Order: sequence, then C-alpha cells, then structure tokens
Amino acid sequence: MSKLLTTQLYKYHVEQKSKLIEFAGWDMPFSYDGTLKEHNYVRNNCGFFDVSHMGRLALDIGQIQNISKLICSDILNLDNSKALYTIFTNENGKALDDVIFWKFEDKLILICNASNREKISNHLINNNIEFEDQTFDTCLIAVQGPNTVNHLKDLLDLPKHFSAVDNGEYICARTGYTGEDGFEIMFNNSKVDEILNYIVRKEIKPCGLGSRDTLRLEASLPLYGFELTEEISPVEANLKWVITNEDDYLGKEIIHNELNSSNHKTLKKFVIDSKKIARTGTKVKSNNINGVVTSGNYSPKLEKSIGFALFDSSPESDLIEFDIRGNFIEGNIINKRFLN
Amino acid sequence: MTEKKYLETHEWYSVNDNEITVGISDFAQSELGDIVFVTLPTVDESFSKGEGMVEIEATKTVAEVYAPMDITITEVNNKLDSEPELINGDPCGEGWIVKGSIKDLDDIGMSYQEYESFIS
Repeated sequence: MSKLLTTQLYKYHVEQKSKLIEFAGWDMPFSYDGTLKEHNYVRNNCGFFDVSHMGRLALDIGQIQNISKLICSDILNLDNSKALYTIFTNENGKALDDVIFWKFEDKLILICNASNREKISNHLINNNIEFEDQTFDTCLIAVQGPNTVNHLKDLLDLPKHFSAVDNGEYICARTGYTGEDGFEIMFNNSKVDEILNYIVRKEIKPCGLGSRDTLRLEASLPLYGFELTEEISPVEANLKWVITNEDDYLGKEIIHNELNSSNHKTLKKFVIDSKKIARTGTKVKSNNINGVVTSGNYSPKLEKSIGFALFDSSPESDLIEFDIRGNFIEGNIINKRFLN
Repeated sequence: MTEKKYLETHEWYSVNDNEITVGISDFAQSELGDIVFVTLPTVDESFSKGEGMVEIEATKTVAEVYAPMDITITEVNNKLDSEPELINGDPCGEGWIVKGSIKDLDDIGMSYQEYESFIS
C-alpha cells in the first residue's frame, strides 16, 4: 500500500490522540472526543475541521468562460467576492464532482473533493484550462457553529454569507457544510502554527470526519460518492436549484430533458422511527418502486435514524420499507429538510 | 463470580453459579464509536451458542452481540434503552447488556491477557 498523505495539522491530530482513518488517500482524523460530542460542539457552540485534504485549484479569471462550459451553475454572472456551490457534469449529465468556487476580481479558487482532485485536474487539462494546484502549499480549515463569529472576529475580517474575502494572508469564505454558520479559511502552510495557536487559545474544539458526516446528513446536504456519483445527475440528486447555467455545458441537454420529465431516478430523505439505521446499500421500497440507501445514520438533534435513498422513479407513497439484514423495517419519506 | 472471559467476537462474560452476565469489551465499544441504539432481547428468550442476541447501532457501524453459550435471558439492562452510551462509558460495568441462565456451561473464553494479545 502506498504511503498515506498527511496535512500540515497531522502532528496536532496525533497529539490530540484522534482516531485516524484512511480517507481518499489521506490519513485523517475520524474523531477526537467522539462523534456525538463533536456533533454537538458544532450545533451548540463551535468546532473546527481540518479539511486540507480537499483539493484547492487556483485559476486565472480569464478561464471563467471555459469553466462555464463544464458546470451546471451560472458562474459568469456571479459577483466578485462570492462563493458558488456547483457540479461538474459529464456528457451524460451526471456528476463528476460537487465543488465550491470562490470568485475574485483576478482569480477563481476551486475547492473539490479530495477523492476527485486528480479527476477534476485531468478534466481541466483535457479542456485546455490552466490552473495551479495549491493543495499541498496551503491549508484549509472549516470553523463551524453558532458562536463561530465571536470566536473568529479577532482573527480576520469575516465575509457575509456565501461570500469570500482575500486579504493577502488568508482567503476566507462563509459557506459551511453543517447547516450552521461557518467559515472556511485557506492559508499558506507557513501560517499553520499561528492559526492553530489562535484556535487552541479560543478553545475551539477539533472535530473529525465522523461528525462532519452526521452534521452534513442532518443538514440534508449530499456527499460525493454517495448522493452524487458519475451515475447520478444533479436533477436525480434533487439539486435542481443548482442548475442555473444558461450557457452550453457538458450534458446540458440531458439535464434539461430530465428537468421536464419524471422518468428518472430521484433522491429522497427518510426518517425511521424504530431503533435501526438504514446504512449505505440498504434496499428500500415504496409500493413497487425500488430504491437503495445512499447514506444513513443517527441524527443527534432529532434523536432518530435518518438518511437519503435513491429511488428508480418518484415514489407515490411516502411510506417506505427497508430490508435491514433480512428484517422489514418501516420508514417515511420526508419532503422538508431534516432540520428547520 | 468468576473473572471476566472474552470471546473473539469481542463479548465479555462472567459466570456466577448458573447465571451469566454478558457485555462487550472496551476495545469493541471503542471500535464501534458512539452507540446510539441497543435492541435488547426479551426475558425468557433462549439463544444457542453463537446466535445473535442484541443489536448495537453506533454512528460508525452496527454490531451484534452473540450468545457465549446456550442461555435463556433472565434480565436485560433496560437502562440501555434511554442511555445506550453507558456501553461506551463503562462497557464492563454499568454497560452490561444481558443476564441469562446457563443451559450448558461452555466456559472457553479467553482470559484478559489472552484477549489483549488477540486484539493487539
């Protein structure tokens, strides 16, 4: 097995005795104090995640027309200093990756999933788009939770929601992946001690990938590899709001046909009232419509089992039945978000 | 009461006369992560050695607790219904899971030292 990659915060993770796991080729913290505790730090106060494993690609703003041909959202009319959640689609209209762009006057910063950094890099190269991969020269941390502003306001000028600032030392955006107010801060590797000292002084708790997953699930947010794959389109993943690109882009025709049809797979959220978790791969049925669970776990806030399932077509009934290790367990599709 | 014995499937058990107490090891709870649901059997239910008695759902994964020998359940730890985290906090004490009467004593578990070298 090849050696796992480590982030600049690796020493800190080891000192904190975090449980480390392999994630997309990186040795990353799964938890420090336990997933539920970390989940609650973020829901009730503030926590930080080392997300330096995610890809960070810098592009000259002159590349924006070419980028627009590859994503399903309108980036051309996005204001400077704004952040955009979007999806790189392939010629079949399926998802190559879900990403965040930060748009500045002179550049774009593209944040992609760690597992897709090489794929997206190659995709850009194949489309003659120049970029600089800054993943290994910089760090990225996400600080999330209702008290985050209080904790971070002494560190830097904080942007407004779905905005980004670049002060030359840090690039900071306010997008979040937990359903809470939160900031993502990208900085040069040389600043890692300074930032870590600040975080430790403010007693912001470290959180691992375990709570990142329960938080994003509870916040009804998709995770690439589960709710989005090269077999699942943004329409199927119920991300119609992301499709705002009027330009021609890869797979546009298929995606627009899907938008006007019900003849496609569809992702639904579900809740189970019994003490069972329907995990990834669990079979589910609504009358005669089959589906499969893409993600499922415990929601600490709802104190219930929740998840996403991808159905072959739109179920007519919200009553669903899971086959959990041979036992038939009832659940319900819900059409609102898990958390209000 | 005899000292705790451990199984390769990470249960511990102790025997007192004809009664057995079963839980999971500290190693097992640590591997599972935060335990959120425990589905307990009912009193008087019988299990053969190796049969799944209890289902533990944790944030990371799910695990079954297997019967260490042929037993009939005499008591379950009902506290686990509302406080499943007792297994994480005190797996070998307050986080015990079931008690049962032994139908056929089959005391072949590992000592703690043997179990430690098994998991390391």
